[in-house]
Amino acid sequence: MNSIRSLLAVLFLLASSAPGAAAQERPGPDQVLHNWYRMVLELVRHTPTYSPPVASRAFAYLGVTAYEASAGGMGLASLAGQLNGLAPAPARDADAIYDEAVVMQAAMAFGVRNFFGNTGPTGQRAMKAMEAQLSQITTAGRPEDVAARSMAFGEAVGAHILHWSKEDGGAVVENMGFPFNHTPSDGPGAWAPTSLVAQQQAPLLPEWGDNRTFAMPTGASCPLPPPPAYSEEAGSDFHTEAMEVYETSKDLTPEQTAIARFWSDDPMLSPTPPGHWISIAMEILQERGADSAERVDLLARLGIAMADAFIGCWHAKYEFDLIRPVTYIRRLIEPEWQPILITPPFPEYPSGHSTQSGAAAAVLTAHFGEGFAFDDATHVDEGLGVRSYPDFEAAAEEAAMSRLYGGIHFRAAIKRGLEQGYCIGAHATALKTVN
Amino acid sequence: MRRAIIAVAAVTLIAPGAYAQAIPTFVEETDISGVDSVFEGEWEYMVGGGVAVLDCSGDGLADMLLAGGSAPAKFYRNVGAVGGELRFEAVESGAEFDKIVGAYPLDIDGDGITDIVLLRVGENIVLRGLGECRFERANDDWGFDGGDAWSTAFAATWEKGAAFPTLAIGNYVDRNEQMFPWGSCTANWLHRPAGQERRFAQPVPLTPSHCALSMLFTDWNRSGTPSLRVSNDREYYKGGQEQLWHVRPGEAPALYTAEEGWQRLRIWGMGIASYDLGFDGYPDYFLTSMADNKLQRLVAPEAGDLLPRYDDIAFAKGVTAHRPYVGGEIQPSTAWHAQFEDVNNDGLVDLFVAKGNVWEMPDFARKDPNNLLIQKPDGTFVETGDIAGVASLLTGRGAAIADFNLDGLLDLVVVNRHDKAQVWRNASKDAGGWVQVKLAQDGPNRDAVGAWIEVKRGDVTMRREAPSGGGHVSGQSGWWHFGLGDLDETEIRVIWPDGTEGDWARVAADGFYVLARDDQPRAWEPSGR
Repeated sequence: MNSIRSLLAVLFLLASSAPGAAAQERPGPDQVLHNWYRMVLELVRHTPTYSPPVASRAFAYLGVTAYEASAGGMGLASLAGQLNGLAPAPARDADAIYDEAVVMQAAMAFGVRNFFGNTGPTGQRAMKAMEAQLSQITTAGRPEDVAARSMAFGEAVGAHILHWSKEDGGAVVENMGFPFNHTPSDGPGAWAPTSLVAQQQAPLLPEWGDNRTFAMPTGASCPLPPPPAYSEEAGSDFHTEAMEVYETSKDLTPEQTAIARFWSDDPMLSPTPPGHWISIAMEILQERGADSAERVDLLARLGIAMADAFIGCWHAKYEFDLIRPVTYIRRLIEPEWQPILITPPFPEYPSGHSTQSGAAAAVLTAHFGEGFAFDDATHVDEGLGVRSYPDFEAAAEEAAMSRLYGGIHFRAAIKRGLEQGYCIGAHATALKTVN
Repeated sequence: MRRAIIAVAAVTLIAPGAYAQAIPTFVEETDISGVDSVFEGEWEYMVGGGVAVLDCSGDGLADMLLAGGSAPAKFYRNVGAVGGELRFEAVESGAEFDKIVGAYPLDIDGDGITDIVLLRVGENIVLRGLGECRFERANDDWGFDGGDAWSTAFAATWEKGAAFPTLAIGNYVDRNEQMFPWGSCTANWLHRPAGQERRFAQPVPLTPSHCALSMLFTDWNRSGTPSLRVSNDREYYKGGQEQLWHVRPGEAPALYTAEEGWQRLRIWGMGIASYDLGFDGYPDYFLTSMADNKLQRLVAPEAGDLLPRYDDIAFAKGVTAHRPYVGGEIQPSTAWHAQFEDVNNDGLVDLFVAKGNVWEMPDFARKDPNNLLIQKPDGTFVETGDIAGVASLLTGRGAAIADFNLDGLLDLVVVNRHDKAQVWRNASKDAGGWVQVKLAQDGPNRDAVGAWIEVKRGDVTMRREAPSGGGHVSGQSGWWHFGLGDLDETEIRVIWPDGTEGDWARVAADGFYVLARDDQPRAWEPSGR
């Protein structure tokens, strides 16, 4: 069992940013990466456009940035040619010396600066402060030519990945992802707005499923069967699923309530669901003292898997365009029904939490092995405590079921979402990273 | 009917099947007004930029202190003529401190001269009013510990039997945290009187604190004891939410809990405005945020057993004000100060919202017009900011709506970040009747902060609480305004802060009245202008 508290025990470098702080130990590339990811988890939360799909995209590109910047120095195989549309990154000078911490710092600073360029003033200030401090301590004492060369290389890789990202269909997100003009589908089983927020009368990112995927061929590569046929008839499969959500909500146990809140991971109030899984990975990597090669490998695969999961899931969501439980239950069962979680503003089937958790669990299981027990301290700052799991699949299943407890999803969306996620995750685990 | 407020000649907005609504006309007079004040500063001034509106000289005209951020504040004495263009004159008042985020007027020491509370980046300051628009620092004399924080919210009340007010001050994020400021909200403070002395005790931390940007003592359930509503910025808290505090005399402050009915709401809370829009006797609350704003109405007050549970009726009432309506930008809006006032005097209170990007946030509109939402007889609102002339695309923050030229029409001042504050004169030709009242009582709470004022209009009773606080770092004291529509006269009464219900008294429209406790309304007229 891993006892994970490493995010709480903040690292050696960032606690003492005040002038006059004692000389700081020079970090390796592993800790440079770790600290930038800590920053990214905050930026995801505090950049309003970063809904879960958008966040997953950033995690993927930043993971690939770190990976490609490090690969040549660590004997790893490039992902160029394996990921859709990714050309080979700039090559290192085979005869020159590079400092891996400086390379990592330059690549991550470039990537974060660009993928979070639209964050608010506090995020901008924080990014600048981190970049200044990490640049200073990673280059301290290094030969000037080595530092300059390493920095230029890291930035070049960052620019290469940024350029690759521009044409994937997800680079520009306006109005926080809500289209200005949207014609809802007809039919009683179609999604309808679920909130009284004016901005959310149109669904989130309806074109996201058409984005270029990373490791799987397209957003339709892991299809799933249709949901139970819409019916308002008592005893039908659909009505039975709705009654399960309704009755569960009426008799929620404290444990079910805690699970619903723990995995809620609301955008702008948390690191989002993909950030939650990144947090889990970071905790374990930190606890294990993982080297840089292991970190970049896992964080790249995890980011890729979850980004593909959101593309695949969104592709299916807008194919099936299914009504949410809150709409159905209020229409047919109890007009005043109030689930404990706020229903997200997009169609129901499949469950995004389930698909991306399945994909994440697939990658983490492939990396750490079956039966890998761990603690999850992602939400300690929020006062939600630590939860423990016997393995990643158990955590994914709990994350998926949390949406039924929260009144957000029917069971079919959960079950098949997980299956879709495992399918999508397999594309990421199949990437070749060892030369 | 004495007047036709929906005059044919008036600018009107006609929605299908709806009442034709009079749209006010505002004329911007910034350049001729004599006001030349900019809210300056970088990161530590990305929120704030308030204005305190008060009568500092006793002439009945509203003067104002404008926060300057990193630059010194400026005090403007109102030198305009009744019914004339807006004219102000900068004067040395003793309030010209720098690092001011916001300011609220309040007669703290009950001497009949309005004092001012300055919210600052650094030490907060209380200024004693000396008369003739002069002020002096009174922190030491009043035992006020100004602390060292980034103060961004304020509210005041007089707890029952107290000789001095209780001040709530909301504080923002730890400004010394550069890399990971999120989750570093610093403690809010409750400055209570030191026993029966006319000075403050050491402040009590109001924890948990979640980066407050607006506070309001409000008697939400008409219990006679106001509670403290706090609107918090979710950008910075972790584990936070909107808050409602019990503040009972002699007891430690305590949060309303979920078990008491409080419902979790997490928004970028930036400003609070309140008014009894539904004529049910209970205040509704408008909460500003980014993108959609909230309008909360108490759930089922008729049921009797009141719980602090609210329906969000912003969408239904047409006041989400979530994105620009002019200016060409399509990204969502950022809302700050909000205020309910009747700007066309039709007897239906309207809503002004100051808008402006936080600081070069490309995901939000950078040309973000202020809103002027006019209420229609059916209780919904319609946007008129562009037609009325107040849809400034500068970066708005704090604001105040007040009758600066005492003509019965409410005027407007808006503080802008990195740009000049703007003033507008309400030049509407077709507005209805009005009445404005000033409250007065003996004792420490001279201005009767926390009273309710009720005015009859046909079958309904218009009600407003008379608080000190709320908005976005902007406050005002002085005249309380009611539009009367086509009434020639009305009835008015005060429910005083101790719960005593004053008698209904008849007053003529289009007049100012001093409502002194245990006395008949006393007509007041401006003199010498």
